[in-house]
Amino acid sequence: MSSSGPTPAGTPQVKALNCPSCGAALTLRSFSQAVTIVCDHCHSILDAQDPRLKILQKFNVETGEDPPLIPLGTRGNIRGTQYEVIGFQRRTIRVDGIPYSWHEYLLFNPFKGFRYLTEYQGHWNDVSVLRALPIWTPGATTLNYLGETYRAFQTATAETSYVLGEFPWQVRVGESAQVSDFISPPRVISGEKTGNEVTWSMGEYLTGRDVWKIFKLDGDPPEAIGVYENQPSPLIADVKAIWTLAGAFLVALVVLIIVFFSMARDEQVLAKSYEFNTNVKSEASFVTEVFELSGRTSDVELATTASVDNNWIYFNYALINEDTGQAYDFGREVSYYHGYDSDGSWTEGSQSDSVTIPSVPPGHYYLRVEPESDYYRGTIYYSFTLRRDVPQVSFFGIAALALLIPAGLITWKSMNFEHLRWAESDYGSDDDSGSSDSNDDDQQYPDRPISLGIADEDNSE
Amino acid sequence: MIRNLFLVYGLAVLSALSLAEYRGWSLNRVDEVPNVPKSVRDNPGSYRSVYGYYHHYTGGK
Repeated sequence: MSSSGPTPAGTPQVKALNCPSCGAALTLRSFSQAVTIVCDHCHSILDAQDPRLKILQKFNVETGEDPPLIPLGTRGNIRGTQYEVIGFQRRTIRVDGIPYSWHEYLLFNPFKGFRYLTEYQGHWNDVSVLRALPIWTPGATTLNYLGETYRAFQTATAETSYVLGEFPWQVRVGESAQVSDFISPPRVISGEKTGNEVTWSMGEYLTGRDVWKIFKLDGDPPEAIGVYENQPSPLIADVKAIWTLAGAFLVALVVLIIVFFSMARDEQVLAKSYEFNTNVKSEASFVTEVFELSGRTSDVELATTASVDNNWIYFNYALINEDTGQAYDFGREVSYYHGYDSDGSWTEGSQSDSVTIPSVPPGHYYLRVEPESDYYRGTIYYSFTLRRDVPQVSFFGIAALALLIPAGLITWKSMNFEHLRWAESDYGSDDDSGSSDSNDDDQQYPDRPISLGIADEDNSE
Repeated sequence: MIRNLFLVYGLAVLSALSLAEYRGWSLNRVDEVPNVPKSVRDNPGSYRSVYGYYHHYTGGK
């Protein structure tokens, strides 16, 4: 037994030992709390309660190295208490013969005891053992703890596949436990059953950046992959707020519709009827009398109807300001065809047309009209009506869509997040294609077919 | 963050709608031609619309 060197006053002392298997120095951080200690050189599992450090198990041949992301001995402040990383284990489940593993870090504070950090593909959980039993009936798909309901997510058998450091229990590589997870993001309650004993623990989701900040680690944490079982949706709180806002905006839109329709003058300023003889080849253009467009700058709607029957008529229109010479030049076609074929009767086009001329200033105007059609198609009767300051329904429709589409997209994104979450669950909905043993799901989410207790799995072996 | 963005966005949509309705905007395309001579009233055929020589679809179904 040797000392590990001077220790700053007020910090936990570190006791140093030597491995009876390989002679490497061992560091004991949790004092008499440690039940087993693992040599980080030869990976022998030793009985920490035995003064001679009896070898309980050797496993390095099977497992190889799996260095922890947070080195043993690292200290960090969690919820106001300083903890030290004293143990590290990898746990593994097998789905269709494929191993999936996650990592657990055992943290120790001499006054507060133990807690855990778990990590799976960049997703972390701060885990502590529950002090009160949750209300749960075996087989039930929900669990209640302190008034909060947790939904069953997954159950699987986890096997310890790698250990390092010290543990307050008789850890062994190869030991297994049935682990059941119940989630209420960002929390997860896990029941770990060994024999007839069930240990309940609660995890709260942490990001890698949270963990790196807690332990003041260098570099960047591994990037989180996929959606983890208790990962809080970044959008779930926004969805409700956005639909509330969208509802308020739609109400405001209805108010605007009422206001603009009640304020719009919708004034008829010109209504004329004419006929166009297509059998006569002569100058067809003409102008109307001058009329006044009063009020503020607003739109003018020109509605045209024509007695076309399997025929067309085209109008070159020009709304000309007599005072300024400014013209609004546009063409409109009215065509209507109908008939009968092997598919039945059909129609195409219409005998009426409408166009809105935007932002026409007040003034004196006349309309130049130049009809044209095929020759020798008889006489076409047509009429048109000019209305001033007509509310545009299309803008209200566009505004409604512009409000609803982003809200819908955010909702869809949030639902997709939940879909990805529950696609990994034993209890996913039909829509989620919930079962993790689905081949399709395995192909879509090959890296995380199932997840467990106080941690996740990893196929990094 | 998203809530605030959507709040600003929604207000912008309603403001744009109000402006469009007030100013009489339209989705229809109309060409503006300046300085049309007053003689057009006496000789309408002298004015040639940019929409002249329109090629029509007349075949129906």
